[in-house]
Amino acid sequence: MVEKKTSKVVVMVIGYAAMIVCLLLCVYPLIWMVFGSLKTTNDFYTNIWGPPIKFIWENYVEAWRRADMGRRYLNSVFITGLFLLINIPTACCAAYSFARLRFKGQQKLYLFLLCGIMIPTGVLTLPLYSTMVSLGLINSRVGLAITYAGTSVAFSTFMMRGFFISLPKGLEEAACIDGCTMFGAFRRVILPLTKPGIMILVIYNGLSNWTEYHLASLVLPSAAKQTVPVGMALFQANNAIEYPVLFAALSLATVPMVIVYILCQKSFISGMTAGAVKG
Amino acid sequence: MMKKPSAEQTLGGRLKGNRSDKAFPYLMIAPAILLFCVFVIYPFAQGFISSFHKWDGLSPMKWLGLRNYENIMQDSLFWGAMKNTFLYAILVTIIKNIFALLLALFLVKKVLPGRTLFRTAVYLPVTMSYVVIGVLWMWIFNPTFGLLNPLLEFMGLGGLIRGWLSDPDVAIYSVIWVDIWKWTGFHMVMYVAGLNSIPEDYYEAAAIDGASSWQRFWKITIPQLNSTIFTNLLMSVTGAFTSNYALVNVMTGGGPNNATEVAATYIVKTGLKYVNLGKANAMTFVLFIFTLVFGMIQLKTIVRDENYDH
Repeated sequence: MVEKKTSKVVVMVIGYAAMIVCLLLCVYPLIWMVFGSLKTTNDFYTNIWGPPIKFIWENYVEAWRRADMGRRYLNSVFITGLFLLINIPTACCAAYSFARLRFKGQQKLYLFLLCGIMIPTGVLTLPLYSTMVSLGLINSRVGLAITYAGTSVAFSTFMMRGFFISLPKGLEEAACIDGCTMFGAFRRVILPLTKPGIMILVIYNGLSNWTEYHLASLVLPSAAKQTVPVGMALFQANNAIEYPVLFAALSLATVPMVIVYILCQKSFISGMTAGAVKG
Repeated sequence: MMKKPSAEQTLGGRLKGNRSDKAFPYLMIAPAILLFCVFVIYPFAQGFISSFHKWDGLSPMKWLGLRNYENIMQDSLFWGAMKNTFLYAILVTIIKNIFALLLALFLVKKVLPGRTLFRTAVYLPVTMSYVVIGVLWMWIFNPTFGLLNPLLEFMGLGGLIRGWLSDPDVAIYSVIWVDIWKWTGFHMVMYVAGLNSIPEDYYEAAAIDGASSWQRFWKITIPQLNSTIFTNLLMSVTGAFTSNYALVNVMTGGGPNNATEVAATYIVKTGLKYVNLGKANAMTFVLFIFTLVFGMIQLKTIVRDENYDH
């Protein structure tokens, strides 16, 4: 009995220790990043671990200006926003049709679309780049948003279809006794009931494309059109001399999303979990 | 598979069809199918065709037959990159999942103080982009003012100090570690959800029968968690073949001495830097063939889980 108790205590101690190590491992790099962003260059070299001796807020002004963060945020917001505006209606319409209507060739067309799920994200980046060249979509924010909408349409449709199917049968007829168009039934009756599914698309697809780098770095050569991740990678490659400013830029690229995450943690976690089946 | 519904079951049947109603389902799927064809099927086909050609991306393609593929077979840099890609995918998948499962086992069903805070914290890196994380870890690994080496020295492990990103023997593992760091929290949350769905009475019954906790783990937890483990492994592995692009590109650029080159970075270099899209696309398809197995397992799981007639 005593032995059992000690072994339990040992497990607890090891577990707690592991938890604390993990906690530090996850959070300290971020704290370090913010500390570093507020130091003087000299402080940065000599005082590696601790908080800044003097807080240099100007680093942020400098980083915002030199890394052109304002413009890059606007670009990212624009591209992600436009992407969602295309992605959600196309996926919802197609998913509704596949889930609740009957038409010839339905199953074949659906399986055709599902083939898209077999191709892991990013494998086709280079052929996709060539396609964008031939369609004249290079160096265009709109072009990138449309392309994102194309690469994620298969998975989004698949996901939304699950939501439409789980709604009770005959809902459209019941709600539209006095008659409404088929599109009206979809838009006014069914679509509002699938808000949780749409939330998942917004979070999962939104975040995937907000952080996307591979394709964005190839198709947005002009600095004025680049997204936050692309801009960040370039800034790091070109300005690796004043480290505190680099760290300030990193913080500027990270902190807003972290705040959004902390505020809507629940929907963030459930959205990512439900969406990530595709990996 | 799909049942043929009788006419009155369907909306189209009820709201008796004029011609526009017949077209309605097709109109609804048209934008999605169009996007899919233009941005998935077309690149796929064009990439495949160009892999048998000499092509710079602009001028017309020149037929080469299998020459690109023969060329790849002898390209030791490509196979080095493929080896790294697999090493990355395998290590990332295994280590992430072991860490995540261990943490989840400890975290679940115990009301520990600080539990929510812990979950919030380890999930944080999920919301960050690979680029930011890559740059951040580059400086942590930095030999002169990074965090890692002073820490090792402090712990009396000074002998372990090395150029984490400049030593060709170590660099790829450093990059792999960063990917593990980013996703462990995510998988942990998935495992916690899976563990929470195992009915408590299973454990109670086993405890009455005198099963040790070790036995309970292997006889109840693992079998009950089967599908969660499967999903997590599949998710890690399919992502890992290409998600390494941003990390490698930002942290090492494939160096030192190609030691961290992965397929995704080498393909882009071949295609855009050496302007050989034909060969690069041939590599894309070699990579695709290797990932196809996982893609097909994924598709099969998805189609099996799908309920056609609710």
